[in-house]
Amino acid sequence: MKDSSFKELLLWLIRLRRRYRVTGASMFPLLKPGDEVLLDFRAYRRRPPCPGDIVVARHPTQAGLEIIKRVAKVDADGRFHLQGDNPDPTQSSDSLVTCRHILGRATSRFG
Amino acid sequence: MNKLTAKIKEMFPAKNMVSAHCDGPCGVYDPASARIAAEAVLSMTKKILALDPGDGNHATANSLSRYIAIKEEQAHLAKTELLVLWTDYFKPVHLEQFPDLHGTFWKAAKLCSAVKVGVSLEHAEELMATIEKIHTMFWATKGRDVTYYTAS
Repeated sequence: MKDSSFKELLLWLIRLRRRYRVTGASMFPLLKPGDEVLLDFRAYRRRPPCPGDIVVARHPTQAGLEIIKRVAKVDADGRFHLQGDNPDPTQSSDSLVTCRHILGRATSRFG
Repeated sequence: MNKLTAKIKEMFPAKNMVSAHCDGPCGVYDPASARIAAEAVLSMTKKILALDPGDGNHATANSLSRYIAIKEEQAHLAKTELLVLWTDYFKPVHLEQFPDLHGTFWKAAKLCSAVKVGVSLEHAEELMATIEKIHTMFWATKGRDVTYYTAS
């Protein structure tokens, strides 16, 4: 993931990006706990999430929990398999979500 | 650019948190953990009832204390295991399948308290029966036929 460019900073300032702080290690080594990312919450208005995208999604069963994961696979019925990057299975688990759970695409690392 | 964003991050950390945990629960649930604790309670209850508390023997007093301590500890553990299963595993869709789900868990939790504070064989056996019912409901939600068994 790229570091935030001047354009990204500008987009954040005009509120077209939302900042999130990462907790947990399921996206290690890409993202460490305490890292911040910028989220483009309009990213999927024109196209659906693609495998490889880093997305922020509402957890399918735990109300109020927002998770950051990588889209691993898209099912034919439009459901998305989200996965952590961490190779340690105790640090990561899969979630199966629908498009309405996905809040946007993480575009860059902030700071 | 990095210095600028790092400074912003340091001075005004993001308020929105996003979790990259293993989603919290690992998804491994089994009513067996509650059943084992409840079985220990049943066993301790039987052992307590088999002792004569008035025999004036230090060894008896010592055993009684130990049995009571273990019974209370295991009763609390059974309750914790049941509450985790109830609140973390079971979902609204399961309630449609088993309308008495909440009632069953509530009764089981109440029985855990009853067997903890008292020494009742009847309550301990009732707790085991309720856990067996939970076992049946749990595996039915997973579409698996798992035979209920006890260790003792």
